[in-house]
Amino acid sequence: MNDKLRIKKLYTLSSENRKFSFPLPLKNKIRIGKRDYIVQLKADEKYGMYILWKNRKYPVEIVRSRQNKYEILFNDISYIFTVETPFSMKRMKVLSTGKGKTEKESLKAPMPGKIIDILVREGSNVLRGEPLLILEAMKMQNEIQSPVNGQIIRVLAKPDSNVMKDDLLIEIKVE
Amino acid sequence: MKINKMLIANRGEIAIRIMKTARRMKIRTVAVKTAVEPNAMYLSLADEVFDNTEEVSEIPVFLDIEKLISIALKTGANAVHPGYGFLAENAYFAQKCLDNEIIFIGPSPDAIYKMGNKTIARKLALKNGIPMAMGSNGNVPNEEEAVKIAEKIGYPVIIKAASGGGGRGMRIVRKSDEMDKMFIIASKEAEKAFNDPSVFIEKYIENPKHIEFQILGDTKGNVIHLGERECSIQRKHQKLLEESPSCALDSGLRKTMGKIAVQIAKAVNYFSAGTVEFLLDSEKNFYFMEMNTRIQVEHPVTEIVTGIDLIEQQIRIANGEELKIKQKDIKLKGWAIECRINAEDVQAGFAPDPGKIERLSMPSENYVRVDTGIQSGSSIVSSYDSMIAKLIVSGRDRKEAIKNCKLALDKVWIKGTKTTLPFFRLLVRNQKFQDGTFTTAFIEDLDKYYYNSEYEEMLAAWLATKLFVEENLQEHSTNASFENSVDMSPWLLNKRINQF
Repeated sequence: MNDKLRIKKLYTLSSENRKFSFPLPLKNKIRIGKRDYIVQLKADEKYGMYILWKNRKYPVEIVRSRQNKYEILFNDISYIFTVETPFSMKRMKVLSTGKGKTEKESLKAPMPGKIIDILVREGSNVLRGEPLLILEAMKMQNEIQSPVNGQIIRVLAKPDSNVMKDDLLIEIKVE
Repeated sequence: MKINKMLIANRGEIAIRIMKTARRMKIRTVAVKTAVEPNAMYLSLADEVFDNTEEVSEIPVFLDIEKLISIALKTGANAVHPGYGFLAENAYFAQKCLDNEIIFIGPSPDAIYKMGNKTIARKLALKNGIPMAMGSNGNVPNEEEAVKIAEKIGYPVIIKAASGGGGRGMRIVRKSDEMDKMFIIASKEAEKAFNDPSVFIEKYIENPKHIEFQILGDTKGNVIHLGERECSIQRKHQKLLEESPSCALDSGLRKTMGKIAVQIAKAVNYFSAGTVEFLLDSEKNFYFMEMNTRIQVEHPVTEIVTGIDLIEQQIRIANGEELKIKQKDIKLKGWAIECRINAEDVQAGFAPDPGKIERLSMPSENYVRVDTGIQSGSSIVSSYDSMIAKLIVSGRDRKEAIKNCKLALDKVWIKGTKTTLPFFRLLVRNQKFQDGTFTTAFIEDLDKYYYNSEYEEMLAAWLATKLFVEENLQEHSTNASFENSVDMSPWLLNKRINQF
């Protein structure tokens, strides 16, 4: 009970790492100019779930939620929110400074498709933005580029094989 | 022989688009039902459905020439409409139709072949004095040769598939040390997509506008143009938004380019509907790029500003009728914009996002036309393209068309997959787009900011999350409704909610 009373603010980290804090208790309205607009969650046969806000309906869908992390599709844009209290925020900061920098970059398939070609080998040195492999999905050939500078440790993708979204393709040692 | 029953060798929105005109002209239509999409919307609008769901084949039926011919013969269709994509620009398919006394609704196999092979098309254009970007004289055999030619015409250059189209087998090369890799990628992609690895090289025109002219020709040698379409908003050479007319052209330039477009078409004795594509640079120099020998995805914008049904014209021309419309009858009236609403994730660089469309509702205002093959419950399957719908909006002028487009975009309701809607909402508010000064580099220059989200919207999204979680806690004591929430404990959730 005491714990609850002490919390005056709630923090939200969006997927773009923008930090917002909201004073508690949180109200379901947003002020635009001088007017407050109430945000309501509704659902019906025709539209499914939607948000009624500013006299307009916005499509909304919870894509996934995991512990204190939520992904929501709102007006066709997805947002990932991590909800933190001042206490958990502080703890997170402590944890993140203690943790070393990740050495390994795991490249995953961004979409389901077929591996057309692999342009690197284990041991190859790659630069950020360099094409690593070609993934075909929905009549488009997509170059999958290296997100980092580094050395290829493992190539798990095989030419002509089909991959699912998030399948591990390549591991890179970050330099 | 007049067309009385046609096989539609296609699916999705274009199959439906063709059926609409066919019905009006009292021509019976046959659609092909496939195992991939047995409940697709286009099937419900055909007069007859050929069930091909039992067929097990490596290639989709819409690419299977022998199979399609046999379906046409079995169902008694005396014509085939290929739509776009698939076999629409396959000269062999067109010839096979003719060999079996089936009318191919499109140009002659000869015209398809000549325009389909970009090296032949280049030579033809050169012979006819058509302005073109400098390039290799024919196909380029290997990387070494490619470097030599590129050095001669100067970087940047673009490698293109000789049998290409639709952006595949195309790579821009800016320095000689990129050539090896790009040449191999382009050639491999070309082989995979068009069964022909040959490529050629052209000077790459930096930041041009993509302007194309709609052509109509009949079998008597009459060819006219129906004005231009501006298709500069593209990503990886895939068009996303098209409009007609283009604000980059005045009536003088329109006349000059249109005349050249007609001249190119006449060089191959072109009949049916076709499109001549040009690049227009900042000095208003234009260069012939290629001719597409089919109906285009973006044909509706031309239909709106000219008032001409292009599918009807294709059918009449295929029936041997003479064009009744003369060049002087073509007047562009108003402005039309088409947005391609695809199942793509704008936040992941337009990656395809296939899946089931749970709900779809499109605006029905009188300034809106919607061409779609998708309804609530349909699926966007990864075997085909990612199109959900074409939203075509018109206005008296460009300003009004953009204004109407803004309104229409906010009325589109799609649930189930991510879509290109956030991109269009950003685009119609973009200054460069409104000014009309954008080029094909527009999307690239956005540098990952393919969508826009106001702080307030993010706030609303967050409140929506909170409301959802609250509601679900009231309705269910367990977390059963959280399909993917393996880790969520109701106890933890409850605790957090109570903190709000």
